Amino acid sequence: MKEIFSISGIDIFQRDFNQIMIRGNEHEKLNQIINKGVSLNLPNENLKIVNNDNILIAKHSFDQWNLIYFNDQNYRDVLKLVSNLNSNNQVLASDYSYGQVYFDISGEKKNYYLNKLTHFDLRLKKFPVNTMAQTLIARIDCSIYHLKEKYIITCNKSFEDYFTQRLADSINL
Amino acid sequence: MTALNNNKNSCVTDSNKVSFIFDGKKYFGFDGDTVASALLRNNIKIVGRSFKYHRPRGIYTCGIEEPNALVQILSEKDEPNTRATVKRIYSGIKIRSQNRWPSLENDFGYINNLLSPLFSAGFYYKTFMGPKGFWKNIYEPLIRKSAGLGKPPKEFRSKSIHNHHNVDIVIVGAGLNGLLATSKFIDTDYDVLVLEQDNILGGSLNSSQKIKTIDNLDARVWIKKTEDLIKKSKNIKILKNTLATSYNQINHIIALEDNSVGKPLASHKPELILHKIRTKHTILSNGHIERLISFRNNDLPGIMLAGSFEKYIFRYGVIPEAEPIIFTNNSSTFSLLKSLIDLGCKPKAYVDVRDESSIEKKTKTILETNKIPFYFSSEIEGCDGNKKLETISIRNKEKQIEKISGTMLCISGGINPDVHLFTQSKGLIKWDEKYLTFKPETAFQNTITIGSANGNFNFKRIIEEINEKLSLFNIKELKIDLESDCPEDLNITELWETNNEKKSFWSKSFIDIQNDVTTKDLHQAVSEGFDRIEHLKRFTTNSMGTDQGKISSINSLGIVSKILKKNISEVGTTIYRPPYAPLSFSAIAGRSTYEFYDPTRKTSIHSWHVKNRAIFEDVGQWKRPWYFKKNDKETMYEAVQRESKELRNAAGILDGSTLGKIEIKGNDALEFVNLIYTNAFTKMKPMTARYALMLGEDGMIKDDGIVCKISDQHFIATTTTGGAAKVLSDMEEYAQTEWPHLNVHLNSITEQFSTFNISGPKSRAIMRKVFSDVDFSNDKFPFMTFKNVNYLDTQVRILRASFTGELGYEVYIAPKYGLELWEKFFRYGENLGLIPYGTETMHLLRAEKGYIVVGQDTDGTVTPLDLNLNWMIGKNKKDFIGKRSLSRSDTSRKGRKQLVGILAVDKSKIIEEGQHVVKSSSIPSKIKSPIKYLGHITSSYHSPTLNYYVAMAMIEGGNDLIGKKFYVTQNRSLENISVEIVKPVFLDPENKRLLS
Repeated sequence: MKEIFSISGIDIFQRDFNQIMIRGNEHEKLNQIINKGVSLNLPNENLKIVNNDNILIAKHSFDQWNLIYFNDQNYRDVLKLVSNLNSNNQVLASDYSYGQVYFDISGEKKNYYLNKLTHFDLRLKKFPVNTMAQTLIARIDCSIYHLKEKYIITCNKSFEDYFTQRLADSINL
Repeated sequence: MTALNNNKNSCVTDSNKVSFIFDGKKYFGFDGDTVASALLRNNIKIVGRSFKYHRPRGIYTCGIEEPNALVQILSEKDEPNTRATVKRIYSGIKIRSQNRWPSLENDFGYINNLLSPLFSAGFYYKTFMGPKGFWKNIYEPLIRKSAGLGKPPKEFRSKSIHNHHNVDIVIVGAGLNGLLATSKFIDTDYDVLVLEQDNILGGSLNSSQKIKTIDNLDARVWIKKTEDLIKKSKNIKILKNTLATSYNQINHIIALEDNSVGKPLASHKPELILHKIRTKHTILSNGHIERLISFRNNDLPGIMLAGSFEKYIFRYGVIPEAEPIIFTNNSSTFSLLKSLIDLGCKPKAYVDVRDESSIEKKTKTILETNKIPFYFSSEIEGCDGNKKLETISIRNKEKQIEKISGTMLCISGGINPDVHLFTQSKGLIKWDEKYLTFKPETAFQNTITIGSANGNFNFKRIIEEINEKLSLFNIKELKIDLESDCPEDLNITELWETNNEKKSFWSKSFIDIQNDVTTKDLHQAVSEGFDRIEHLKRFTTNSMGTDQGKISSINSLGIVSKILKKNISEVGTTIYRPPYAPLSFSAIAGRSTYEFYDPTRKTSIHSWHVKNRAIFEDVGQWKRPWYFKKNDKETMYEAVQRESKELRNAAGILDGSTLGKIEIKGNDALEFVNLIYTNAFTKMKPMTARYALMLGEDGMIKDDGIVCKISDQHFIATTTTGGAAKVLSDMEEYAQTEWPHLNVHLNSITEQFSTFNISGPKSRAIMRKVFSDVDFSNDKFPFMTFKNVNYLDTQVRILRASFTGELGYEVYIAPKYGLELWEKFFRYGENLGLIPYGTETMHLLRAEKGYIVVGQDTDGTVTPLDLNLNWMIGKNKKDFIGKRSLSRSDTSRKGRKQLVGILAVDKSKIIEEGQHVVKSSSIPSKIKSPIKYLGHITSSYHSPTLNYYVAMAMIEGGNDLIGKKFYVTQNRSLENISVEIVKPVFLDPENKRLLS
């Protein structure tokens, strides 16, 4: 975990999470595999999140889910789940762990700072807890997950330097 | 003229003195002063020169509508065209007047005024036609030199930022109506954003004493109390110093906040904040704008709008003149008259165009009681003076001219609702015969207009209007009493221009003071046929200045309607375009400048590249090493030659992480790739790879890459760096919309792998050292096969393929381990001559082998057949994207441009990319008839291995021209280079190196 910024009202940390991108049509079959692997059910509704202390699963679109491990996970276990999922020909699971970067943003001013970088409507009534969105932040494609009192933002790793600089810049100005 | 300070009932007091510099001279104002109020306080009358005629100009208004008083702020990086009526002073601010040389008092450009008969309407469109050659050498440089007002600012790094808001309601303007509307939303469930251009709330309540009490409280006490209540309400946010500039579709509003009001630019804070606001409802309570009256020399310094004069008194605490003359056609000037009397000042005369019976009793009583000369049914004929107002000619009710001396004339030609934002939102406006102005009529979006912005000039109706218009929100009713001793409603008589008595070159009756457009110009434009208001606007440049004619555009409609003998409603109005007031480019750009100009993408090896002197090129948003400098002296040409040679002799490694990668899986994955690519994949064995082409539906090459087959249900495809996103989205679109019956899923895995390409005769030896457990022999690891290999706690995919025509391998690894593995290659490979190479070297190596680069050798009009890539088309495939188009008459005809190799007959010659292939040995110095060209050079490089230039070209019927001789043009010579058309493979045509 790396602190990007921490001042009154906003804390931004870069986290080392693992992630799997899952695509598949047969929800029930897929759900069984996932449930067996991580003891969580896949969310049914688009852009909804289910999570526990260790794992988050979000439904990105009609056939796409995203599984994020919050805690340090043995990378081989991640690859093992990917392999298990891929043993079903109708499912595609890709390991996204190191191709993405993860930011944990909390504090009462988090919306104010993020709205320097995104037009996205972060108001609680429009973006409730346990929902997610894919939107532009600092002009790059990001996923933003609303958990209780914080956001998890992920983007492609290649943007890491640019994005962290933009985050710091928006706090400084 | 002597200005007085007003400490009574003013928002600016004389408690804090502030020094400032104007045109090199030091003056003092007070904290809270604008540049204009401070200059008026110092009795400075001329503040600039006019745009076209360089006439001396003073301060005409007290706000954003100012046409004249534009200044350059030297202490803020020379920011030009700043409105003196808005810009606040601070200690040490340096200001310079504009559009004059050598000085404001003695301006050489004033000669334009003497030559003004030459500069009538349409001058620009009628002159500068000849003689030939004058435009480029004389007219354009001269016009460029004399154009504009201020000088462009010096280069500086802006810190302006953008801020986004999503709210339920935006209230534009926090004057009386805005505050009343806002107060209704206190502690409700609505998210409300209030935009106020001033740094204090209250609007006209601070600028006049029209409203005596609100809810039995003094107006300023009520403002304070209301503001406190609003601040406590969690659902309402107020942005002060923030001007709404654009009202776009879907209730999207742009507002500009000046974050450095009354203070120098801070080095660590944004000077401007551009607010981008998305709202459900917009309440426009942005008030009104007073308009001028045209008469002879109505631009002289000393002439000011009456409402602005009053605003200076109460908002800024300066009485510009104790004995002004007032000229009006409406009842709004009563307030100024009364305020002056209350302050112990006495207007020198009161000139009203209305007949005596139409003038309010209150006005007449004050005039009589205070023995102020009163001219009813009269008008100002014109004004005279040397660089400032000295004499005023009044045409009295007997039509006689009376001259009185005076240094300040306050005029009011009526009041316009500020409909700019409303019309920007596509709302419709309608002419109001009672108030002689356009009023909002039909909103196009969720827009509500209230108060004077809605054309409601009756104080008694304010509360009723707000309750009625905001009733849709189901919030509390307002019950507030307003007390005013001003006339209840606006009483106005039509007057756009007075009759001129005197005619001279010097005398002019202006309609657009900023653009120096006169009423005579309007007459001329109409007589020349420009009788449509939009045409007339462009022909005369009326209302086209930075003020958009805020105080005069309606007057011009009035005058034109008289000329055309039509009603104003028939003449129509021009469209107010965003922005409402000029926006600085730095505000528009926000942080998207310099290092944040465009998002940048870096590979996991980027830091190593930087340390090793890589020079980067931008490919899409990626930073890719272009070449590596061995030392500071090495040129790009030298570096690329060195890298190419060393790779062909030993080995080179390229960071190919930027290549797009797509994972394709599903029961129908095989059918899917067969449809997407031209190649046949059915008979392909698992764990093998194939160079593949993707076409558009028009049969043209769209992208290329390598497709790895894990099984019939699982593939991994690579794409070009620039094409990655488009290829994925196209695949996804086909999967979802054209072939939804196929069971196939796609994931982008571009970012999930760092990719290296190791090439050269020593590459196998290096791979053996790095991956000691893998058998890299030809038998066990043949060309276009791949293996998955365990590495640390992950897996590496190794593919035997080649970008360069050499023995080569591609390695795919999770980016976490990318740098570690890259460095390992160098630990094991350096002794074997391994070098890093960049994209330019890769292009050279590819050209030597005749390997195309999509986007360089192709341009969206090239089919695989044009490139002789027929072998890549699955002949027995039932279908693939673009298949049908390959047999169209145009794509299958003879004589299409085809890819060939080009070699100079004299091999010391340099062939340049982009040059034409022609039949003639030279180009005539004067081309009289078109020269037939066969095609163009797509790639050309000096091959260090062959020691001459190798080039590829797309030329008509190229395949049939092999062995023929033609010519290639040169950039700096009319002599063409003699070349031979050859097959586009220059090195190792038998692929011995590749398969070694």
